[in-house]
Amino acid sequence: MSSVASNGLVHRITASHATYRILTLAIFAAAWEAYASQARSLLIPKFTDTVTGFFTLLTDRHFWEALIISNQALVLGFAISVVLGIPLGLAMGRFRVAERAVDVYLNILLVTPMAALIPILLMSPLGLSLASRVVLVVMFSIVMVVVNSRAGVRQVDPSLIEMARSFGASERQIWWRVLLPGSLPAVMTGVRIGLGRAVTGMVIVELLLVAAGIGGLILEYRGFFKADLLYGTVVIIVLEALALITVARWLERRVTPWARHRGVMERA
Amino acid sequence: MIEVSGLNMTFGGNTRSGGSVEALRDVNLRIEDNEFLTVLGPSGCGKTTLLRAIGGLLTWNAGQIRIDGRPVTGPGPERAMVFQNVALLPWDTVLSNVAFGLELRGVARAERERKAMELIDLVGLSGFERRMPRELSGGMQQRVGLARALAVEPKVLLMDEPFGALDEQTRRILQEELIRIWERTRTTVVFVTHSMDEAVLLGDRIALITARPGTVDEIVHVPLPRPRARDIGSIERSVEFVAIRSRLWEKLREMQPDLRGPTKVARAS
Repeated sequence: MSSVASNGLVHRITASHATYRILTLAIFAAAWEAYASQARSLLIPKFTDTVTGFFTLLTDRHFWEALIISNQALVLGFAISVVLGIPLGLAMGRFRVAERAVDVYLNILLVTPMAALIPILLMSPLGLSLASRVVLVVMFSIVMVVVNSRAGVRQVDPSLIEMARSFGASERQIWWRVLLPGSLPAVMTGVRIGLGRAVTGMVIVELLLVAAGIGGLILEYRGFFKADLLYGTVVIIVLEALALITVARWLERRVTPWARHRGVMERA
Repeated sequence: MIEVSGLNMTFGGNTRSGGSVEALRDVNLRIEDNEFLTVLGPSGCGKTTLLRAIGGLLTWNAGQIRIDGRPVTGPGPERAMVFQNVALLPWDTVLSNVAFGLELRGVARAERERKAMELIDLVGLSGFERRMPRELSGGMQQRVGLARALAVEPKVLLMDEPFGALDEQTRRILQEELIRIWERTRTTVVFVTHSMDEAVLLGDRIALITARPGTVDEIVHVPLPRPRARDIGSIERSVEFVAIRSRLWEKLREMQPDLRGPTKVARAS
């Protein structure tokens, strides 16, 4: 009896995703610890040091202030991307005029390395302000929101639009009952990917443009060879990004339960 | 009454390739009130195009379509369509889908849901109101499509190969159901199909359409008695059914370019 029960337990443990994640993390941590102990470098903290650094930061008021400063740019920039990007993408998907007017600029944003624009931003009237950081976050994230929203509208099954027309739907009704719900899965994918890019933008702008917030902290710790705190900061950024993406993914599934969750540029 | 007169329709032609397709040429057709007309023809003959034109979803080059004397310029509340791919809204329940046409017309929620429940019952889907379309089989989805069209109480029901994508058994059951429902409601129906059996079984008359360009080749009366719902099997074995069917086949075979060749070879040998 007990063997049956333990077999069940073993099976449950080996079948669980979490088990493998913990296992790979443990192997990774052990390898890191071994390498760092042997290297004895000022630049590579041990895994355990990083963990301690992580908790030190969580109790540090300075750190929290930096985090809030960074996130101001993230929240504002991401909000602007969503509020402007979704309607713009939807319009581009449905109306040729909008597509023609905006497509060039979208492509420029899509192919230009954003880092190259940072010096230009620095020399602009915005200079080193919060506005400047917000602009960069927007430039990083809005493209993904627009492109996915546009694809969402285009992906809507044309036979649904025709069906609605056959029952006498107005353009407005087609938007509300067919195009918007139909493009919602792709829009949500765009929002999620845009969020990831917004986090990237937030950190990059602080590293390259304004030594503010988290990016500023990273530069500071690097300057003082505080490798444990530097690594701890990076870990916290990663965790924040993961948490945000998880929330976005949850929201995506929540509002579009009928959809198979796949979008364009999923890997971008 | 639906009157189609001198209808011509050409697709394309304005492109650089210059290749235009004449889909319909001089189509003339009269569909009486309370009549079940089936439109039969080889695939690609423009029968679906004709139906969509009657539905007001397309524009044409010349000719006119009138319903009770009024020319068709777009979709109208007296017509409702049933589509081959059903076209249900995947984010809505069966109930909302059936009520969709009424919703677009501004009918209050309580009223349209009451009406929708009535039709869900008529098509035999009671108990499935809260299900999502993807939870239903193809046959059940098409019942929803039919209920949605009937919910707006159309004077004319336009059906575009609604059972074409279904498996044989499901198709037969739905044919029976459609006959049963139609014999009760007697709504004017234009039913496009490429199945000879279906055309004979369902129709009072059959409009035979030739391919490229599509035009009405012949109108065949179906003298089979009604009600037919009770015993489809014996109808299909009846002398009349077999006679009409073989006559339709002769006609259709003449229209099939790829079959004309081999037939001649067979005769020669």
